[in-house]
Amino acid sequence: MKRSILIVLLNLGLIGGLAVAALAQGPGGKGESLSTVQRLNRAPVSKEILRVKLPRPRETKLANGLTVLVLEQHKLPTVAFALWVKTGALADPKDLPGLAKSTAEMLREGTTHRTSAQLAAEVDSIGASLGASADFGSSISTVAASGLVQNADRILDLMSDVVLNPTFPGEELEKYRKRQLAQLEEQRAEPDFLGREKFFQVLYQDFPASVVSATPESMKRISPENLKEFHARYYVPDNALLGVVGDVQFDQIVSIVQKYFGGWKSTAVTPPVVGKLPPPAPAKITLVDRPSSVQTNILAGDFAVRRNDPDYIPLMVMNRILGGGPSARLFLNLRENHGYTYGAYSFFTSDTYPGAWIATTEVRNDVTDGSMQELVAEFKRIRTEKVPDAELEEARNSIVARFALSLEQPAQLLSSWMTVNYYKLPEDYWDRYPEDVVKVGPEVVQRAATKYVDLDHLQFVCVGDGKQIKDALKKYGPVEVYNTEGKRLE
Amino acid sequence: MKKHQWTGMLLGLCLGVMPALASQSKIPRLEFSDQRLENGLRVIIALDRTAPVFSIAVTYNVGSRNERPGRTGFAHLFEHMMFQGSENVGKGEHFILVLNNGGGMNGSTSEDRTNYFEQLPKNQLDLALFLEADRMRSLAVNQTNLENQRRTVQEERRLGIDNQPYGKSELEIDNLSYDNFAYKHSVIGSMVDLEAANVDDVKDFFRIYYAPNNAVLTLVGDLEPRETLEKVKKYFGSIPSQPPPTKVDLTEPDHYGERRSTIEDPLARLPQILISYHIPPGNTPESYALQVLGNILGTGQSSRLYQHLVKDKQLATSIRVMPDSRIGPSLFYITAMPRPGVKPEDLEKAIYEEIEAVKKDGVTAQEMEKARTQFLRNQIQSRQSTLFTAIRLGQYAVYFDDPNLINTIFDRYSAVSAEQVKQAAQKFLVTTGRTVVTTVPATVPGKSAAGR
Repeated sequence: MKRSILIVLLNLGLIGGLAVAALAQGPGGKGESLSTVQRLNRAPVSKEILRVKLPRPRETKLANGLTVLVLEQHKLPTVAFALWVKTGALADPKDLPGLAKSTAEMLREGTTHRTSAQLAAEVDSIGASLGASADFGSSISTVAASGLVQNADRILDLMSDVVLNPTFPGEELEKYRKRQLAQLEEQRAEPDFLGREKFFQVLYQDFPASVVSATPESMKRISPENLKEFHARYYVPDNALLGVVGDVQFDQIVSIVQKYFGGWKSTAVTPPVVGKLPPPAPAKITLVDRPSSVQTNILAGDFAVRRNDPDYIPLMVMNRILGGGPSARLFLNLRENHGYTYGAYSFFTSDTYPGAWIATTEVRNDVTDGSMQELVAEFKRIRTEKVPDAELEEARNSIVARFALSLEQPAQLLSSWMTVNYYKLPEDYWDRYPEDVVKVGPEVVQRAATKYVDLDHLQFVCVGDGKQIKDALKKYGPVEVYNTEGKRLE
Repeated sequence: MKKHQWTGMLLGLCLGVMPALASQSKIPRLEFSDQRLENGLRVIIALDRTAPVFSIAVTYNVGSRNERPGRTGFAHLFEHMMFQGSENVGKGEHFILVLNNGGGMNGSTSEDRTNYFEQLPKNQLDLALFLEADRMRSLAVNQTNLENQRRTVQEERRLGIDNQPYGKSELEIDNLSYDNFAYKHSVIGSMVDLEAANVDDVKDFFRIYYAPNNAVLTLVGDLEPRETLEKVKKYFGSIPSQPPPTKVDLTEPDHYGERRSTIEDPLARLPQILISYHIPPGNTPESYALQVLGNILGTGQSSRLYQHLVKDKQLATSIRVMPDSRIGPSLFYITAMPRPGVKPEDLEKAIYEEIEAVKKDGVTAQEMEKARTQFLRNQIQSRQSTLFTAIRLGQYAVYFDDPNLINTIFDRYSAVSAEQVKQAAQKFLVTTGRTVVTTVPATVPGKSAAGR
């Protein structure tokens, strides 16, 4: 099964293309022959960078306060809607992790007009999609619906029904609870989950972004009343943003939106109080001991920036050079030069609070040591050595040139503009973005590296077979050990 | 990834009428040219001017089905070697040239084909053609790069299979289902065979399978058709053709009974059931009937297995249904996770009861209509991306010698009748063609019991 295997696995977060240039040369590994990246520069490359302008959505506001963005895209007879509710898992009470997620996921399980089964039947009968989610660590909840434009009216009917009139039936919640409890158990088998769980804990400590999952305790406790209360408090038009993209015409689609969302009652929203970010903890290594592992999953990272931080673009350029894809330093070093891994990347998140910058790779047990050495060497190199001009220029150009590709992805375009609205970025953010990227010079990259690849506070999390890798890890700093249940062992 | 072609055709919502959308949406017809160069390279070009980009895919008619015993995983290892440099492109330079000029790229290997693809701003057409032609003409192979990619692929196997719960079960279902070596062994291959692969194997494989006459080049996007074809000829025209590779006999001997195995998985914490049934090759009327059946049983929350077994009886926490569509004998897969406390055998029995219900009472007209509507929507959506369109054209050409399937597949799917669905279930979802792999968590010394 699993038909196809790819040469490189691109995390979505990376959005494809990336930087680097010169040969990535770390200090030699343990006697492995180096197979070095080589540039012949014989291929015909057009030096012109296609400057494209992202099409802008039109914006309006319903009387109840709901902001609506409409982006017309007439390539195909399809339409997609995205509702951002400006409160998410970040607002979960400490003793009820999973509240925002459960609220979102239970929206489809019954409304005042339709049962769960009726909703499923109606959505599927028109070949539409309808779903809601609230990712851990995010300040928003989202409801998304899409399908053929001929069904726009019915899609909005269904979407508005789950947003405005959910009933959170007790019987459905019981079923949902059981499925979730099984999933909580299942995910503890996955090294990727264990790594994420521990990494966000050690980085964010008491801050809500430390939570990446519900717990069996919270899933057992959660009640229909909890969901109703969260919904009543935060799913209100003033606290939401609706995006539409597709083969629609502005006035018409707004009138349908008005028809279904116009009756959404407006109430005042008190933004949830999210605690303060703790000071960064001193650098250390946290090992999650997972016996029988044949690889070590390594994560290393620090605090990054808020979405509207002026450092966002410098950090992005720096990250692209260091680990943002298969032409970046980490990949070329750990995979292409050393054969330690299938992939090595870095990325960062950003939200209304400082997100995380994370480098990540999965390596066989016996090169855990060598991989740690290369990672640390690359982190030091980008902090201490000025980025060569050619490498920097390629990184910047790749970001700007890639803009053309985004024109093919309406959902991504819409999301870009919703980002501007939600994070209160300047109106002309995407128009100026290419220039802002091109402005980033070598000193700015180095400053971003020094600040955000913060070795004094760098948190390493390694998931793997403790008895095989613990000694190697100890060379790189103090090691705390946990089991897969999260219990501290040493 | 998604993709498409020109628009503006039948849009539901036009000019000033009312919201209640007019005409039924249709899949825009994709116009493309299709010809062979003198060296046998099949070239397919389709225009799409929605964005200033284009996509290219080179699909080679080779996959793990062509591997011999002792060299499992080789087609895929070879795919990696195609990024290790050729006469005029350095090792790893492919990544750098494509990504640093604003593009995206990848390659993938399945049982039946290997493809390589890029998506770039439209002014980089020469770059893409040069890169693909250079490695088709003159792949550079050396021991050091082979070692390096051998390690990388072994890590890929650990990442995807050996370090994951249920990974081994995924390989076991095919291993147990098939007797013919072609599909019996995995695409990723065994560690021992990966270790055995040598430079001569790479050279032979390149000569036999990576010839222009064994490949399809597809280009989709904002292109000038005539100029594009001229460039294709310029870059690819002089690559010599090779004798056609020997066809692999994919015939699967008859099966006379159910096959079962149980895997104790130290990485799993909950049991899992994996079922397969032998079904006919893709793009046959019976295959389409089984695709429809797969949709009715398993696609969406209104599907039978979800409504009956996940929601009503609460025997499973998730169920996936996946009929596959290969050049040769294919499989209809069902994967189910029993809810904790439910015996896997009870869930398995309940799945069979659902299948028996289809054999006895068939499916409803409403279910047929729903399957068609969902398929229509997916087909339309899939035209969003030039890259996905390029990949599909190449795949249909290699699998079924019919790139135009991109325009006709919906008709074929829609032509299936409820009676055909019932008959297909009766004929193919039978005990003698069935294989079942049950995974149970194995207790490992030193592993905490707390989660159990």
